[in-house]
Amino acid sequence: MQPRVLFASVILGCVMPLAPAAADASLEYAVKAAYLPKFVPFITWPDSAFDSPAAPVTICVLGADPFGGKLEQAAGGVKSGDRAVTVRHLAGPDPSAACQMIFLGPGDPAVAEGTLDAMKGKPVVTVTDSGLKAHGVISFLIEANHVRFDIDDAAAAQDGLAVSSKLLGLAHAVKQRGQP
Amino acid sequence: MRRRGWIPSVIGALTAAAILLAAGVLMAVYQEQLYSNQQAKSVREQAQILAASASAAILFDDRKAAQEYVDALRVNPELQAAAIYGGDGHLIAGFARGTRLPALLTSAGSGSGAGYIDIAVPASQNGAHAGIVLLRALTEPAERRYARYAGLILLVTMGALVIAVLSFAQAQLSRRAQQLASVNTRLHEEMEERRKTEEALRQSHKMEAIGQLSGGIAHDFNNLIMIVKGNLRLLKRKLGDETQGSAGYIASADEALDRAANLTQRILAFSRRQPLMPQRVNLSTLAQGLSELVRHSVGERVEITMRLHGSWSTLCDLNQMENVILNLAINARDAMPDGGRLVVETRDVTVTEPPPDVESQSFVPGDYASLAVIDTGMGMPEDVRQRAVDPFFTTKPLGKGTGLGLSMTFGFVRQSGGYLVIESKPGKGTAVTILMPRDPETA
Repeated sequence: MQPRVLFASVILGCVMPLAPAAADASLEYAVKAAYLPKFVPFITWPDSAFDSPAAPVTICVLGADPFGGKLEQAAGGVKSGDRAVTVRHLAGPDPSAACQMIFLGPGDPAVAEGTLDAMKGKPVVTVTDSGLKAHGVISFLIEANHVRFDIDDAAAAQDGLAVSSKLLGLAHAVKQRGQP
Repeated sequence: MRRRGWIPSVIGALTAAAILLAAGVLMAVYQEQLYSNQQAKSVREQAQILAASASAAILFDDRKAAQEYVDALRVNPELQAAAIYGGDGHLIAGFARGTRLPALLTSAGSGSGAGYIDIAVPASQNGAHAGIVLLRALTEPAERRYARYAGLILLVTMGALVIAVLSFAQAQLSRRAQQLASVNTRLHEEMEERRKTEEALRQSHKMEAIGQLSGGIAHDFNNLIMIVKGNLRLLKRKLGDETQGSAGYIASADEALDRAANLTQRILAFSRRQPLMPQRVNLSTLAQGLSELVRHSVGERVEITMRLHGSWSTLCDLNQMENVILNLAINARDAMPDGGRLVVETRDVTVTEPPPDVESQSFVPGDYASLAVIDTGMGMPEDVRQRAVDPFFTTKPLGKGTGLGLSMTFGFVRQSGGYLVIESKPGKGTAVTILMPRDPETA
């Protein structure tokens, strides 16, 4: 992996220029909806995270759905290995729900923080929306009108997750494993 | 005989050349195939590496990162173009040097154009389709490849031609060597021929010189004998009846003179100076007439066979010829002290080659009446045979022969225009053949 690539910033402006975020929140969430299933092939879960070898990867959305069905649309065509990608909406924190990735929306920051604490050490990729103070394994951010993401590889390692270096290379910032 | 002997070797060389040429062409084709396969393989591997590393950039539509991946391939001068296409087929990133990239690419595969090959491979991450990576690699222009192979083929052809020329030269050389060998053999034969001729000539000259010398002496001697003989006759007449017992001395001297005259006569015969009275003689008739006398001369222990097949006549002195036949018969008898077989043979022969020991310059080809006296006696070694006609050469005990018999025969035969041939081998017997020229007026 070339160093320049590692430090490269992700720019999506060409295809999806974002006008003032507030004015076009639906476009911002369309991009995020497209991203979420695409993270899946770059992440390796431990076998214990699934009921069976063919079980799908489930993306859970906690609280209100900001995507308006676009997430289901994006996840429909994605396959990671033999696994399909499904979407599940959770009204509130549900420790019994079998999620491999959980999206914490811009709702109540306290719920988000509580969920993050609850998921610590579990093989679940936590994705926090931009605007939230707390950060999951992956956290969206808006930079120069473009949707980008940070990756906390140290947290991923604690959770037993492996994130592909290719994805790390595209991230805005990476918290390397082994660092406090 | 072997003039065309070089053809197979040259054909062989040309065949070898053709095989070499064919092998060269096959090798070139094979190398060409191998080269393009290897190039395609190498380009495909580069495309797969690019596809694997750029999958995240494609999936997240990160054009800058994708362009950096693509630009890393610019260092390869073989690549004319490299491009990354997204999942929906649109161009995300790429570069092109002197060529145009397709704006849309939806399927992987490979293709080729003038001087380039296209390799397109799918990019995916963990089974999720991301997009397509296209590499366009320059191929060596056909003319340059063919020029390279043409050089190779030229070398091979020249090598083959050299082989052909060498084998041709080799064939020529061996032909020349064979010619030389045969010429050498002929030269040796001619040298041997010449040696024999020289020997015959030398012998002839020797006989000539001896003949002249002895003939001259014998001639004068004969005159002296005649004078003595005449005076002896006068003395006898003068004494008349009053010889008073000296008649015995006169008779004894007269007898000795006769013998001396006889001897000089023989020498004259050998030196071809005797007066001859040629007449037509048929050798078969002559031999038939002499058969009783011959039988009487050789005795009962020798069996005589007459094979008188000759019909041609010859011109010669009849009395001398009779002497010759008797002489030869007596020689044959002396060669067979314990008895044996004597053959007297006459034939008509046409001679085209000089007989043995006859020098070619003095030989006249033509028809000859031949008479041969053949015995089964002790024969002669070669050195004796060669000296057999030398005057006063004899192998008989002292007092038994004069050494003039064969010399006389030789002189007479030569004086009559004929040839004397002596063939002999120790223990096998001797054949003495007289060839007399055919009298042209006889039928």
